[in-house]
Amino acid sequence: MKRFGVLILLFSTAGIVTLAAQTKRIFTNPRPEPHFKTLFPNAVGFSAFGGTPLHYKVYGEDPKANPAAPPIGFIFWTTDVVPNERGYHGAIHFLVGMDTKGVIQNVVLDYNSEPYGYFSLDPPPFVAQFKNKSIRDPFRVGGDIAAVSRASITIASAARALRDSTRIMAKTFLTPDQVK
Amino acid sequence: MGLALSAVEGQPAADPWGFAEVAVETWAEILRPQSLDLALLVAFLALAVVSFMRKSVPLKLVTFAFAIGYMGFAKSYLISITNIFSALDWNWPVPKYNLAWYLFFGFTVVSTVLWGRLYCGRICAYGALTQALDVMLPARWRFEVPKAIEKRASFIKFGLLAALLGYYLLTHDLLIYQYVEPFWMFGMFGTTIMWSMLVVLLAVTVVVRNVYCRFLCPVGAALGLMSYLTVFKIKRWSECNTCKMCQKTCQWGAIEGPRILVTECVRCDDCERLYADTAKCPHWRIIEYNEKKVRVFTLQPVR
Repeated sequence: MKRFGVLILLFSTAGIVTLAAQTKRIFTNPRPEPHFKTLFPNAVGFSAFGGTPLHYKVYGEDPKANPAAPPIGFIFWTTDVVPNERGYHGAIHFLVGMDTKGVIQNVVLDYNSEPYGYFSLDPPPFVAQFKNKSIRDPFRVGGDIAAVSRASITIASAARALRDSTRIMAKTFLTPDQVK
Repeated sequence: MGLALSAVEGQPAADPWGFAEVAVETWAEILRPQSLDLALLVAFLALAVVSFMRKSVPLKLVTFAFAIGYMGFAKSYLISITNIFSALDWNWPVPKYNLAWYLFFGFTVVSTVLWGRLYCGRICAYGALTQALDVMLPARWRFEVPKAIEKRASFIKFGLLAALLGYYLLTHDLLIYQYVEPFWMFGMFGTTIMWSMLVVLLAVTVVVRNVYCRFLCPVGAALGLMSYLTVFKIKRWSECNTCKMCQKTCQWGAIEGPRILVTECVRCDDCERLYADTAKCPHWRIIEYNEKKVRVFTLQPVR
């Protein structure tokens, strides 16, 4: 009984400490720049990380040469836009590139701690299916999203994260007519 | 925890975005895709509990079949050391989208507090597999572990549990589960090393029955510790102080004279069926002798 009480105490302490830490931003890879080429191969400039939700703006023209150049897209972490979304074990860190027409350019899986991530999320075919995907699609696993494996909790969370984060970004920075 | 898809306050009634899903999900929309899952899980858990309550061997075997086939291969619903790691991280799946998982986890905790390691004995797909193997394989292939080794070996799982918790707190390496549990086998994805280790484990299990569950499973160790809270314990009588029939029958090393070792007992009910048997259990035979002066009992071979 005493043994059990000690275990409970240990778990509660660890839980409280971690809960307190949740109020901060989910820590992501601090140097995502190498992925930018994958997301927007034709971009020439990127803004600093900022805004609400946190994101990088992507430019087709050098913003120093033409300060009025509009962004051609956005790069953001799904963990910043939908911080409450979690898979089987924690948030899955996707870096997403979306253009100003609400079309996902590409998705990079930067980090996950899913027990079954190694055969569900990690293999390239999963993120590859989001390339050039419109955010108006239903994002239904088993429908327009192939599950790739039976790690259902993991895959469902990934699909939700990508669907909801891209739509929230569109609603914040774009207008309905821009997104076909 | 609602995910409001609209970032704009005071949105007009008609959503100008018109995305495929509605802006805020109703409970019906959240529940409908999960309803089949939930129904099947409830049905399986009911089957397991009924098989336990009725102390029925045929129902127990049916439970094993569904545990292996449905809970194991179809759904991979198993409690893993990763769930204990998640408890340390306070890091579990989103509840509203994973109700079946929470029901499964909740049932495991509640049933352990009520009855002990019932999860290990009836629900766990691997536990069902190892017990099904024990039923199907010849009894003469069994290697009876000497008592002295058996008692000490059962502590290995506690050491393993402690080591894994410490390891995880230091490294956050979730993937260590691949080398300390066989439950991934039901997902059918593994590296060559993992499959090789599994083959060795299964080969040993052929002769030392239930070897993983008894000596090596860290989840079993954790549930075993929780089993100190068991509400509905196995009944014992004064005759149990000297009779050793149940102790010799128990395949899990969970009986020591009058005492049931709750960390080892998985409620397989071999002993409960034995002591309910009025022809075999000395408790009943002695009562019958005192009432009717009949012979106490003819010596029966123990299984």
